[in-house]
Amino acid sequence: MSELDLHPERVSGALGDRIAGVLLLLLAVAAWWLSHGFASGFGQTVGPGAFPRLVSVPLGMLALYLVARPGLNHRWPGRAARLRQLGLLALLMIYAGLVEPLGFLPTALITVILMIRLFGARWGQALPFGALLAVSLFLLFEFVLGMPLPDMPGLEW
Amino acid sequence: METLAYLAQGFAVALEPQHLFLALLGCALGTLIGALPGLGPVNGVALMIPLTFNFGLSATAALILLVSVYYGCMYGGRISSILLNIPGDEPAMMTTLDGYPMAQQGRGGEALGLTGVASFVGALVATIGLTLFAPLLVEFAIRFGPAEYFALFVLAFATIGGVTGGSLLKSFIGACLGLLLGTVGIDSVSSVPRYTFGWYELYDGIDFIVALVGLFAISECLVFLEDPRQGSRPTMLLGSAMPGVRTSWQCRGTIARGSLLGFIAGVLPGAGAALGSFLAYTLERRWLGRRGNFGTGDPRGVAAPEAGNNAAAGGALIPMLSLGIPGSGTTAILLALLLSMNITPGPLLFDEQPELVWGLVAALFIGNLMLLVLNIPLVGLFARVLRAPGWFLMPMVVMVAFVGVYSLSNSAFDLYLMLAFGVLGYVLRKLEIPTVPVVLGLLLGGQMEYNLRRAMSISDGDWSIIWNSGISVGIYLFAFTLIVAGLIYSWVIRGRLQ
Repeated sequence: MSELDLHPERVSGALGDRIAGVLLLLLAVAAWWLSHGFASGFGQTVGPGAFPRLVSVPLGMLALYLVARPGLNHRWPGRAARLRQLGLLALLMIYAGLVEPLGFLPTALITVILMIRLFGARWGQALPFGALLAVSLFLLFEFVLGMPLPDMPGLEW
Repeated sequence: METLAYLAQGFAVALEPQHLFLALLGCALGTLIGALPGLGPVNGVALMIPLTFNFGLSATAALILLVSVYYGCMYGGRISSILLNIPGDEPAMMTTLDGYPMAQQGRGGEALGLTGVASFVGALVATIGLTLFAPLLVEFAIRFGPAEYFALFVLAFATIGGVTGGSLLKSFIGACLGLLLGTVGIDSVSSVPRYTFGWYELYDGIDFIVALVGLFAISECLVFLEDPRQGSRPTMLLGSAMPGVRTSWQCRGTIARGSLLGFIAGVLPGAGAALGSFLAYTLERRWLGRRGNFGTGDPRGVAAPEAGNNAAAGGALIPMLSLGIPGSGTTAILLALLLSMNITPGPLLFDEQPELVWGLVAALFIGNLMLLVLNIPLVGLFARVLRAPGWFLMPMVVMVAFVGVYSLSNSAFDLYLMLAFGVLGYVLRKLEIPTVPVVLGLLLGGQMEYNLRRAMSISDGDWSIIWNSGISVGIYLFAFTLIVAGLIYSWVIRGRLQ
């Protein structure tokens, strides 16, 4: 009985681990390369480049080993799951871009409602619960905890 | 005796009304967070950190709050293990084995009561252990120089494999990645910017908190999105938790053994609560053998792992406070809190800020009592949160993360950085590269480099200073032994499975 039969959620990492190994190797080489550009200060026995080099050597060697002997991965997401994840990331990036110009309340309201939809609820659930969540977070952070949130343009609380 | 005097002062600190209130709040929040499937102590405490900063709390108050959350999570994790067969967090995994069968037989309340008592005893044993042993370790560690500290950091990274139980190779890769990420920003010694690519937002380095919330909370949401309709609801009748208190007297031997084992597992660097509950359960099962009906609802099968994981949670605080080396993922996050407040844990902390250390220890004693009350008579209230659907909880987690991180620096850059760490954390989880070593590398990298450079300037560039003292050699040998023991252990486990 192999280890894969015991864990149905795990898959062979032959491809995933190798790609990761190559990327990590490139990272290690780049870190090594760039560390030579850090000017060493006067009278220092160990300059600013030494420690990054000390770390990038084992990282590179371990990455090479990973390419040679890949292990197991968790099952990678299917197409539908990937779309949902990309949707969440896109939504949150738009939120991060709009929260300062538009203010917290309108941005969060729309983001939360769309996010609840993305997590699998119906419109009938997303609209009331999204509004409830956004407004209560706003009241909690702005007034109870006194944390600064971006205001809506033209409104001062 | 001296310890007792300090502890008495600690109680004076912990009994201040604000601290009492924060401990109660932390215990209740922790139990809630622990009970929610998928939101374990690491995620929960990570999510709480930015909020703590915004409350403007003193370091003592913030630490009391977060450590209460931490202890609370350990109690809460058992609730969904028993009622849903889904561990609320990783250390509660073993509790599902006998807890869920008990709940199916209508003994859910009894199991919750029993595990409440077991958790209390485990945490109490560990807190007493912390009071007794942390000062001893401090006495020893006070003699450490920079070279010995460097060895200690090597020990922390060498034993990281045990935290995660995954592949040793991948743990080390994670640690190196974290150490490299930790060098981003202006070098504190020479003021040279490293790997910033001209982005001034990176000059202060990568904020631990932004990285932590991204790696844990955001990546958790991405995992959840793979199958958003997962999860079931507790349907069985709960029953009263009181019979469980009587059952716990019959299981007193089990609870005592579990607490002791868990405590030892917690103190060892790189072990943590998951190992504590695993050891407590498997050894109890082996010890009793056929005299128990493990796997089909034996009360001792829930008492052992719960005593074990709570004891380990307390034990893991010892290396974190006295050496600055976290023994588990959650204590790593507590370390991040301290470092962000410019407090460096270690032997000096006990001398310089005894009110913080002993106030914390006293708060643990008090919090543990509060948790006993919250988790036996009131456990039904917490069981209700399991009915909250994921489509509501997960967006709430995301929004709390976003608001908390934004208010730290008022910069949208941190939000993008957090998302990037969320994606990184998700990809690492899929690759089975554990994220805890990445966090440790990010946290400890600066200190490790600083001690290395100080040692080198003392020795005037002679590298042999690193292994030139008895203490460092001892630490390297200890690290080596733990690695070999870990390899043998995983080899034996693998042999047994096949």
